[in-house]
Formats: sequence, C-alpha cells, structure tokens
Amino acid sequence: MPKTFALLKKHVLIGIFAAVMGAAVGTVAILNIDPASLTSAARDAQRRPTGSAQLVAVDRLPAVDGQFCEWLPASASFSLAAQSPSAADSDTSSQELDRAPLRTIRDTYPTYSAVAVDLETNEVYLQDENLFGYKVFNRLDNTPPNAAFTEPKRMVAGLNTEMEFNCALYVDQNTGDVYSVNNDTVNTMVVFPRNAEGNIKPMRELHTPHGTYGIAADEVNQELFLTVQHDNAVVVYNKLAEGDADPIRLLQGDNTHLEDPHGIAVDTRNNWIFVTNHGSVHDVRPDPEAASERANWPLDRDRAVPGSGRSEPPSISVYGRTAVGDAAPLRVIEGPRTQLNWPAALAVDMARDELYVANDADHSVLVFRTTDRGDAAPARIIRGPQTGLKNPTGLFLDTKNGELWVSSMGNHRATVYALDANGNVAPKRTIRSAPQDKLALAIGNPGAVSYDPRREEILVPN
Amino acid sequence: MIFGQNTLLSRTMHDIRYDEVHDEFLVTNPFAQAIVVFRGGADGNEKPLRVIQGPNTQLQRPDRLDVDPIHNEILVPGEDRILVYPRTANGDVAPIRVLRGPDTKLNTSTLAVDPVNNLIITSTGRGMQIFNRTDQGNVKPRAEIVGPNTGIVRINQLQVYSPKGWIIAAMPGGNGVEPEGIFVGVWSIRDNGNVAPRWKIAGPSSGMKKPRGVVLDVKHQELIVADMRLNSVLTYYFPEIF
Repeated sequence: MPKTFALLKKHVLIGIFAAVMGAAVGTVAILNIDPASLTSAARDAQRRPTGSAQLVAVDRLPAVDGQFCEWLPASASFSLAAQSPSAADSDTSSQELDRAPLRTIRDTYPTYSAVAVDLETNEVYLQDENLFGYKVFNRLDNTPPNAAFTEPKRMVAGLNTEMEFNCALYVDQNTGDVYSVNNDTVNTMVVFPRNAEGNIKPMRELHTPHGTYGIAADEVNQELFLTVQHDNAVVVYNKLAEGDADPIRLLQGDNTHLEDPHGIAVDTRNNWIFVTNHGSVHDVRPDPEAASERANWPLDRDRAVPGSGRSEPPSISVYGRTAVGDAAPLRVIEGPRTQLNWPAALAVDMARDELYVANDADHSVLVFRTTDRGDAAPARIIRGPQTGLKNPTGLFLDTKNGELWVSSMGNHRATVYALDANGNVAPKRTIRSAPQDKLALAIGNPGAVSYDPRREEILVPN
Repeated sequence: MIFGQNTLLSRTMHDIRYDEVHDEFLVTNPFAQAIVVFRGGADGNEKPLRVIQGPNTQLQRPDRLDVDPIHNEILVPGEDRILVYPRTANGDVAPIRVLRGPDTKLNTSTLAVDPVNNLIITSTGRGMQIFNRTDQGNVKPRAEIVGPNTGIVRINQLQVYSPKGWIIAAMPGGNGVEPEGIFVGVWSIRDNGNVAPRWKIAGPSSGMKKPRGVVLDVKHQELIVADMRLNSVLTYYFPEIF
C-alpha cells in the first residue's frame, strides 16, 4: 500500500471521530486532540456551524427539592440538592446575623402631637412624637408655600431627655418651664427650662402612673392634672412635684365616666375640669389581699375585672376641680350631634366660656360652650380642606393675641386661626416641618406587625 | 389607614394578625377588653366584622393574640391563662378552652399557634413555653426554653414558621429607651432548656433599636420587623429559615 494512502486513511478516521464528538475547538481540547494534527477537512468538520444546538456531552444533574434556580446560602454544599436547615436537624449552633435591612419604612420628619406658646418670648413649642423631642419656633413664623420647611430656632431631643412618645406639653407662662408628658413607654414626666437646647437631661422628673396622656396646669392653686389613659383615671399633683411624690388627688371609678381619657383642661374661674374620652373602658377592683395600695395611685390593669370591657361613645366629661375618688361627672357631652371622633386635646377660654376640642379622626376642631351637656352640637366647627387640619391632637389658646393654635399629627404642621374661626377657613399662619404635600406615615409605637400576602401589604398597629 | 370611632380600636394596640385563608385581620383593644376582627381590605372609619367582648369572655387585659385558620380558633394570652375562642365568635362568647393552673406556670402576654405541628408557643417573661395546641386546664408545658443562653429578657410578638418548625421572637430588651442586647431570635419547636437561638438578627448593621413586632413574608423569603424606638418597619432578606 502506498505510504500516501496509509497516512490519508489515518487522518480521515480521526477527522470523522472529531466531527461526531463536536465541531468546536473546545471539544477538541477536551478530547485532548491537538488541532494542528488534524487534516484541514477534519478541522473544518469540527468548526462547521450547523445553525442549531448540538449535544456535546451528558452529565445528569442531581434531584432538587423546590425551584431549580432556588437560591442557597454560601454555606450550602456545592450540590444543588443541599437542603435549608429545619428544626429537625440536630445542629443547634447559633449564628448572629448583623445584616442591613433591604427596605426601611420610616418617617424622617417630625409629627406634632401637642403645641404650646410662651407668650413672654413669643415662641411656639411643638411636641414631636415621632423623633422624640420638641422644636421651638418664633410665634410669627409662617412657612411659605414653596419652602420645604421652616427651620426651628432650637430643639430639645436625644437619649438624655428621656422623651419617648411624648404626647402633651405645657409651658409655664411665668417661668418658661416646659412640661413634657410621655405616654405608655416611659413612666415619667420631664421638665426643662425655658432656653433648653439639645440632648440635655431634664431639670426635674416626676414618676407617673403608666399611660399618662394629657396635661393641664392650675396656676391659681399650683396643681398639675394628668389623664391616665390605661387606668381610666385623672391624677393631680402639686405643680412642682418630682421624683416619687404621690399624687394629692385621684379620680377613678365606675361612676366617673372616664373612658380612655385623653385631653384635659382646667377652668379655674368656675372650678371645673374637662376631660375628653375615646370610649374604651373596663372596671377595676382593689385586691383585698394585696398590701395597701399607694396613696392616690390608680388601680392598673392588673386589677381589671375580667369581662367588664365596653366600647362606649366618645364624650367630654366635666367635674368639679377638686373631684376625688369615684365621683360622677357634673355633666357629660355625648351623642351623635357632638360629632366627637377620637377627641384629643382640650382648651378652655374662660373669658368666653368656650371649650375647644382637637377632633383627631374627624380632622376638625370643635368648639362647645362650657355649659353644654348631653347630645349638644358644637357652636362652631373648623373643618375642611382649606384649614390644613389633618389628625389634629394638640391645641393652645393664645387669648393675649386672639389666636388658636392647632398641631396636626397627620401632616407635620401647626396652624393658627382666629379664636372665632368657623368653617372651612384657611389658617392665618402655618409652621410646616416637611414638604407641602407630605403626609405623615402615622407609624407610632408599633408594637406588632402582620403581612397580607394577597395584597402584599404590611399591617402595622399603632 | 383604619382609624376612627367606628373601628372600636384604641390608640394602643399591641398585636395584629392576618388570616390569609379567610382574608381577615384581627386586633386587640386592651382597654375595652375586646378582640376586633376586620375584613382584609378594611379602610378608613370602618366597622369591624365581629367583636368578642363581654362578661363571658373572661378577657382581662388582652394585649396580644393569634389566629389558627386551619382549626378556626383565636387564641388570647392573659397573664396566667390562655383563652381559646371559635374563629367566628362574635359578642359575649365564652372561651371553648382555657389553659390555666399552677402547673402551667403561665405568666404570659404573647403567643403564637402552630396549626401544622399542633403547638402553642408562649412567652414567660424570661423565656418561652411550648404546649400542645389543644391543651386545657392545668397541664404542664411540654417544653420550656429558658436560661442565660437564650438571651431573652422579654418577648413581644411571636411567630411560627410551621414548614420548618421555627419560632421567631422579637426581643426588645429590658427597660430604658434604647436597651442593649435587643434582637430577633429564631428557635426550634423542638428546643427545650437553656438553648441559644439558632439565628439572632442583631447588630449595628441591622439598624434595630427596639424590635417589638415580627412577621414573615414567605414568598419573598423576608423577615419584617416593627421597631418601636424607630417608629419604623424594617424588612430583611432571611432565606436561611425557609
């Protein structure tokens, strides 16, 4: 056989083999064939495009539980069959995961739960229950519509202040002292001096019952009134009480009509106190086997009578200023004509015998006569889109300048009206601490969370 | 946003649970001693579908609850007892089961029900107890997770991921506005004794200050946390437990 034929036959066979196994140079590389040793025909066969995919190898994948492309943590084995841990595994090692959240829902702007004015310095104090502090502005500040917000002239905030879910505010017009009430996470009322600024400790603290909400001061008799939401009570202190001082009077009991009390106001001319109630109530009883209860300290929910809970209509209850114990109110304003809807702060104009109510869930301010009783309609209502009210919870009456201040938790602002304002009236001035159309997220003290996968919604109770 | 007088809610609500099977969510009103149930898409000043309230309910200070949509029950912890109601209960309804007695060692304000493994997990202040779902009367817990290794000071919201048998607990720490040692911890339903959490989400990167609420988004393998001090909701990617 001629040498030429033998050589051709050998290379033809190699070319056919390579063509069967694949057309790519890579395949040749896997088979450890030196492309340079192939005839040009054989090389052409390997690289010839076919216009469609070609099977070049088969390697079965292991069975996978779940989605094929399921993500596995880096600690998983290389095999895609690796399972995520379950409680049945015997491995009980503990891992700390310091990872950042994917997403954060948080309102970075202040939300104003209360308002007060220092008429000596012409400064406005706005209680920020979102970022825990208060901010001070000039009384005549007025945020232009095209401005992002008005900068406060000073603020008090930080861990040292011991403010958290601070819901009510009182400014002493003589001394300028600022009284700030914490709600249901810190059982302390704190007091700051007039020009306090920054992350400072209070100059005075008073340890209060759990769940205080509203504050009113009787400057004539030097007394301080606090509503206790959780216990359906009102406690009265000497105005300068501090530390573990006991209240001097307690109003609590089945006959008091205190039903989730919120705002409180004192009329020192008529010696009345007014309280707004949301309506949730239960009975309490002392434990006869317990050691003597603390003086004038409300019975708390440990003393609640099981099954005594009720949901009553919202109301304003009126008492004598020195009412104690299980005293019935002098009168109650309650009924559908009142239009009360989660009524919050109260303020009384003693010269005009009028009672102003921040009507939270109705986005309104209601004005009653102080002698109203029963199902009485308000004498005036400030309500409507022009008013700028959105979940108002704070009130202050500036009778010196004839103005009504309202703080709205729903839109990061405080608004000012004439004392006799009525209807859908625009405010005289607005102090705004967020962009014009920004509404508050309304997340406040979120104690739980749930998830609705149907709607892909997160549910947050506040 | 659901708010207003018609809702029968208070300004203090410490739990909320969504029932995916029946498209309802449930909330406690501790001041009115009530359990309030809304339709899933409720909005505004909307009335609830049902309210459990009244002398026969034995509700005293219902801070938290859970719903079992498989067995159609609502479970409410109440310090020294656990009360169980039919899911569709409305009005002054007595509980169908009460877990109570000295052997239970109950001192609880929160719980979670596992309807697949038939368990109730509840907190004891410094740990957790595990009962059989249908336990009633004076029975001992089948397990207790308690001890220094747990890191538990107190627990707020509890959840259970039944397919893997995980307990997820929000641990907000002790008193103080920003206590140390806070975390969200995961234990096994088979744990017993002084057991550290299998996973502990904590640390500066987490951003948490005082976690009080936890829930899982199974589809996206995420853990959602309500942080009280931040007034915020934080969502973490947490595929490890799914």
